Amino acid sequence: MAAGGMNLRQVCQVCCLLLYLVSAALAGRDFYKILGVSKSASIRDIKKAYRKLALQLHPDRNQDDPKAQDKFADLGAAYEVLSDEEKRKQYDAYGEDGLKEGHHGSHNDIFSSFFGDFGFMFGGNRQQQDRNIPRGNDIVLDLEVTLEEVYSGNFVEVVRNKPVAKEAPGKRKCNCRQEMRTTQLGPGRFQMTQEMVCDECPNVKLVNEERTLEVEIEQGVRDEMEYPFIGEGEPHIDGEPGDLRFRIKVLKHPVFERRGDDLYTNITISLVEALVGFEMDIVHLDGHKVHVVRDKITKPGARMWKKGEGLPNFDNINIRGSLIITFDVEFPQTQLDEQQKDGIRGLLKQGSVQKIYNGLQGY
Amino acid sequence: DLSRRGWLRAAGRFERAGACVSDENTDRAMELIHAALRALVLALLSSLCDGKDSELNYVTCGSLVKLLNTRHNVRLHSHDVKYGSGSGQQSVTGVENADDANSYWQIRGRPNRPCQRGTAIKCGQAIRITHMKTGRNLHTHHFSSPLSNNQEVSAFGENGEGDDLDVWTVQCDGVHWERDEAVRFKHVGTDVYLSVTGEQYGHPIRGQREVHGMTSSNQHNWWRSMEGVYIQPSQELLRHDEL
Repeated sequence: MAAGGMNLRQVCQVCCLLLYLVSAALAGRDFYKILGVSKSASIRDIKKAYRKLALQLHPDRNQDDPKAQDKFADLGAAYEVLSDEEKRKQYDAYGEDGLKEGHHGSHNDIFSSFFGDFGFMFGGNRQQQDRNIPRGNDIVLDLEVTLEEVYSGNFVEVVRNKPVAKEAPGKRKCNCRQEMRTTQLGPGRFQMTQEMVCDECPNVKLVNEERTLEVEIEQGVRDEMEYPFIGEGEPHIDGEPGDLRFRIKVLKHPVFERRGDDLYTNITISLVEALVGFEMDIVHLDGHKVHVVRDKITKPGARMWKKGEGLPNFDNINIRGSLIITFDVEFPQTQLDEQQKDGIRGLLKQGSVQKIYNGLQGY
Repeated sequence: DLSRRGWLRAAGRFERAGACVSDENTDRAMELIHAALRALVLALLSSLCDGKDSELNYVTCGSLVKLLNTRHNVRLHSHDVKYGSGSGQQSVTGVENADDANSYWQIRGRPNRPCQRGTAIKCGQAIRITHMKTGRNLHTHHFSSPLSNNQEVSAFGENGEGDDLDVWTVQCDGVHWERDEAVRFKHVGTDVYLSVTGEQYGHPIRGQREVHGMTSSNQHNWWRSMEGVYIQPSQELLRHDEL
């Protein structure tokens, strides 16, 4: 009897295991795990995760890893599905096999919308490689960003309409240069003339093409930092296109002033609050509240440091600067009558000071 | 392909076709058809719309564009070459080729009134047009242009900041400046239209056309946005109200 029971349990366990394996195999890839995001990740989180992983997993960067191509392909498929609202819904409900259509865009398209056409040329060694190939002009676009975007990060979608060199029928003149030609006018008489000599090249025409690019505003980004999109600049008929660079310009904020990773702000309090204390909230750049409490006397010009409430550091977003609050005091507007003045003298019990000194000290 | 762009174009073409037939009775019929078509288009558009507003067809604040004069087929252009007469400021011309980065201009708000990045420019809105490479603003003033004796148009300022004569209004039909349509630029201050009438410069900018301001609105002052980098609106982050 016991032996039979054990066998039954073992059979059940094996069945369960088999079922699990089969369902795991059938369910397809876990796209959320591939991107390293939670099931409730926003589209911004997904774009951010893709961009970070794409740089890490690109096969050109991992030439020793035989699985690099597969990992990279998985990443592209994950992004393609999770970045599309419809496809993500289908995937969440039915898994990878539940997706109605096959994968459309090649991973190259997705990759180049984040980094440009020639984005796989890493490390900025373009100059070294292309010394002899003429390049088209670079384009630099000043991208205005708000302090809220610097705090939380954001993605800017951009439509790039650019002229692209395409093959055309016929030939054209290229590599034109001046050459000296010697012609014989008669016996012993020669003439040297300058002539324009050109080679023949396949004909090329410029056709306008359009594509979407994704520019990431990374957390903690600083003024004047640039995000290049290789090959998205102006074309060159005899060579390669230049680059498109987004130069970050951080806008002034009405409440916070940035200094490095620290934020500065000012609060005006009433004279009463300065003397008896107060409690309040500051709404931060992402909406969370910073609680400010004082139960002692607050002098005008007093500063309060809130550690960790500044901006994230660009190189390590786990480190944050501080929020420095400077208080100033608003005195009552109406004048006091004699009775109130006596009351105040009695309450405050502060003797007359009247100290005369040079407050400017040369400034 | 039921793209939004396709429907807008179809609606536009239909309206324009309707405008050609100007007969009393057909006018009324056309009005009814217009209204019906507009309602249909709006219904379809609202059903096609997803949560985020697509500004794919509009020229938006912060975008970098090349502007083509539709009558003379040249692009608005500037470079580090100064006028030899008039104000002596940086010259603005029209060029034929389409692959010069010196033909890129950034669309920005008025001085001290920045426009929100990615929002479509409205017809009638006052903007500045800043030359990408040199950071100078499209500008005009009471000086004569060298070839045609119209009003000289120059590029003025430093790092995008010049003066009040840098402001132009975008004139178009409709609500927003659409990428496919030709618009006019009217100067705020001297009321001239940005124009090209075909006069050509000689050496050292041989073949480039003169760009000037002229008082009348005509076929010479139509411009269309071409190549460029069009910024789309981003998802709203929590913002404090601007002071």
